[in-house]
Amino acid sequence: MSAIYTIFKKEIRSFFLTPYGWVILAFVLALQGLSLSATLKIFQTAPQQEGILFFIVHSQMFWFYFLFIFPLITMRSLAEEEKTGTLESLLTAPVKTWQVVMGKYLAAYAFFIVLWLPLLLYPFVGDMANWYVEANYNYDPGMMLSYRFADWFGTLSIIFLMGAWFTALGIFASSLTGSQIIAGITTIGLLVFIFFLGLVPILWGEFPASAIFHYLSCTENLDKFSSGLVDSRPFVLYISMTVLTLAVTVRTIDYRRWKH
Amino acid sequence: MIEAKQLSKKFGRFQAVKNASFTINKGDIVGFLGPNGAGKTTTLRMLTGYLPPTSGTAVIAGHDVLKDPMGARKCLGYLPEHVPLYDEQRVTEYLKFRARLKGIPSKEIWNNVARVLEICDLEPVRRKMIRTLSKGYRQRVGLADALLGKPDILILDEPTNGLDPNQIRQMRERIKALTVDHTIILSTHILSEVEMMCNKVVIIDQGVIKAADTPENLTSNLRAAGKIAIEFKGDLDKVVEQFNELEHVKKVIHDSTTEDGWHFLTIRAEAGTDTRERLIEILTGLNCKVRHIHRHIPTLEEVFVEMTRKD
Repeated sequence: MSAIYTIFKKEIRSFFLTPYGWVILAFVLALQGLSLSATLKIFQTAPQQEGILFFIVHSQMFWFYFLFIFPLITMRSLAEEEKTGTLESLLTAPVKTWQVVMGKYLAAYAFFIVLWLPLLLYPFVGDMANWYVEANYNYDPGMMLSYRFADWFGTLSIIFLMGAWFTALGIFASSLTGSQIIAGITTIGLLVFIFFLGLVPILWGEFPASAIFHYLSCTENLDKFSSGLVDSRPFVLYISMTVLTLAVTVRTIDYRRWKH
Repeated sequence: MIEAKQLSKKFGRFQAVKNASFTINKGDIVGFLGPNGAGKTTTLRMLTGYLPPTSGTAVIAGHDVLKDPMGARKCLGYLPEHVPLYDEQRVTEYLKFRARLKGIPSKEIWNNVARVLEICDLEPVRRKMIRTLSKGYRQRVGLADALLGKPDILILDEPTNGLDPNQIRQMRERIKALTVDHTIILSTHILSEVEMMCNKVVIIDQGVIKAADTPENLTSNLRAAGKIAIEFKGDLDKVVEQFNELEHVKKVIHDSTTEDGWHFLTIRAEAGTDTRERLIEILTGLNCKVRHIHRHIPTLEEVFVEMTRKD
């Protein structure tokens, strides 16, 4: 446990003590800000049934920057260790491979969570906008308080669930190669593939096996959760896929070591 | 302390190490010699547990590297060849990180770090970023890391690689000072280094262990060990004839004769014998004048060349 914590701490420090982490943070915050401003525009024109977080995660650029976060936060983790040779000193210390992977994974995931913490604030921004619209335009835009808990819980849990699996995929891609660029491209390729799996029923129409694509669909899960409908099936899907991906990563590192 | 049994490593079709067996006792300081690409690093990596052997086993201080890798790693301090370090960390920060990884209890971490900083003379750079350190300092940080937690065994892969002559000397002295409470394996291709430091030599070439012995035994068994050079004036034919009758002499070669009648001879005698006295007796018996007689003292370099020659 302490080995995981040691590696976790070192990784988190390297996110926040180098410009790298701050650049990602700025990039994501800027795009979230754009989403927020687009959302407020929507509420400005007409009252809406869904809450403010629903519209933030349904803005046009959401998937674009959401998927790009993962290669950015994970491509360094294991690829750099391999390239600089520090993997050798790491794995000749009395540390098990899974502890290294868990330390790296948890650090990347924690950083991912930090990126999405501002979501907790946006409903308050919505309140202020609500008040502003009501005062100046004399109608209620309908960002209702009673709606807020389901809104928060659903949106954050789907983002953190998808994040858990996608971060694991990024760590996995990073374990495949000594090149950060290749790791990053592999990650984004895998994520885009998974994203498009959910679009199969839309592109090809319904067919007997299309239920599986609905089950895997990131967009559908996001729709449900962000409108406050929390379903237990995506929990099973994303958590089990996370565990599986991390297990494969541990094996991959050992296998590559055996081969080389 | 370390026992390697029939260690082999294959990378695809390429056999990097073939059936390497050797034993290293407590307190030994072993030089691992071999040309580039001979399999030194691979063998050392198998001992550290970083690379699993294709076949064979290695036992480190009673821990099998395959069955009990954590136990084996706890007894080891390892300095890899290219000294991988995290560039964005500071020296003490890195050492503290490594100490924590090695499972040193948090109360003792600071003492341990202070100790290795002192041994490796890192006090002046302790707050510097590793990225800004010179090669010599990087090497010392790597050595300091290997020393954390006082492991019984140190495995140093080319510890003097890329250092300047003064730094090499300092590194050598530092390693010598460590022999008191560590068993050390170091790989190198600087032979004088091994002659000065090691009490045991393992020579490896093309993945095969060619010799594992003390430097003295290796040099005295060498073919070149029985070479004697003589310069004398007198009857060449009779001298050669009588020399050839001696039992240890294998061959007498007449190299040259100067204009004023000095003959130069090279005599090949059996290794481990000394026939100089008898040669002089013969020469004085024949009334020859002798101005030079010299028995060649072989160096480890010759041993190395002979063992690893391609022909």
